[in-house]
Amino acid sequence: MFTGGGRARIAVVVYVVLLLAAPAAAQTSAPPDMSGFWINQYTPDLSVVLGKQPPFTEFGAERWRTVDTAKDPTAICLPVGPSRGFTAPFPFILVQHDKLISIMFEYQSIWRAIYLDGRKHPDDLADYPYFMGHSIGHWEGDTLVVDTQGIDERSWLDTAGHEHSAKLRLTERFKKTGPDTIQWTVTYEDPIYFTRPWSIERTFTRGKPGDRVLPYTCNENNKDVEHLMPFQPNLNYKHVPETPATKKPGQ
Amino acid sequence: MKRGIAALFTAIALLASGLSVAAHHSFAAQYDANKPITLKGGITRIEWANPHIYFYLDVADANGATVQWAIEGGAPSTLYRAGWRKDSAKVGDVVTVNGFLARDGSKLVNMQRALLADGRSLFVGNSSYYQKGQ
Repeated sequence: MFTGGGRARIAVVVYVVLLLAAPAAAQTSAPPDMSGFWINQYTPDLSVVLGKQPPFTEFGAERWRTVDTAKDPTAICLPVGPSRGFTAPFPFILVQHDKLISIMFEYQSIWRAIYLDGRKHPDDLADYPYFMGHSIGHWEGDTLVVDTQGIDERSWLDTAGHEHSAKLRLTERFKKTGPDTIQWTVTYEDPIYFTRPWSIERTFTRGKPGDRVLPYTCNENNKDVEHLMPFQPNLNYKHVPETPATKKPGQ
Repeated sequence: MKRGIAALFTAIALLASGLSVAAHHSFAAQYDANKPITLKGGITRIEWANPHIYFYLDVADANGATVQWAIEGGAPSTLYRAGWRKDSAKVGDVVTVNGFLARDGSKLVNMQRALLADGRSLFVGNSSYYQKGQ
């Protein structure tokens, strides 16, 4: 029915079709889309989830014993750090691209960038830490694995007052467990504070259609600070404003 | 027994307060859970602002003098999602507040419950938006 040349042409066509289909087949194993509006599981004390205190070093245990929660960095509106960003009672938006995932937290209107382009952490990261750290990620099957270092040691891991050093390293695993849930497993490593790595697991739940990020401008009206740290030199917030008559000329 | 009931009340109140202050910093750092207080007065000012809302009450003290108290509530976004709006209460509304005193002795209360004269609650966070933490 077909000539030899005809069979050859069909073979070429089949080959080309297969070539064209290959990317489509690859797409079926593409990473799941985690973009969306997500709601945290509020976790003010990580040790409650862990069921015990983390495996403190002697130094870490002493810091925990003597921590002064009046000195919570967020009370003076310092950024929350990656651990509290995902455990505070505020939602976030995750935007997923091939080479980058950006996370926009409502809490403190702050962001994280997770680079997926194969880069390493910068050599000078220790000299230029950021409160939310420097994050690089990759996909292991359907799980996003993120390594975060260079986290400013002034941030805390939770509201209860678990602290960390500049050597903190977070390994986070994001796995979609359904269309509207992400399982987030985070491992904390810090040789200054902890004798070995320890992990907790939380779930992010998708928000309702139409949910939006609302304003959270921490230093807009942060009057807590005058009660927590009354000797802040640049304190401008007063519950009872001074009347013009009490001000000295020139003020 | 009495102490047990007080402890229970404190525990419930602290649980209820989870969203009002703990998100921003520790409740215990700023407020004394052993010093509950109830105040009743007219609202003189409302600050719908981050990180926590405040409203102010003129409260008559034992001698009949008027004293201004500051009442701290939850984060505006949390309250908004619980259905509250910046004009849900107005200056002049009389409100009864249950809460805890600030540790530093200032006229400041962390609000646990606030009731308007008609019995409606006011500016109380609703944690149902968020999943149970633990």
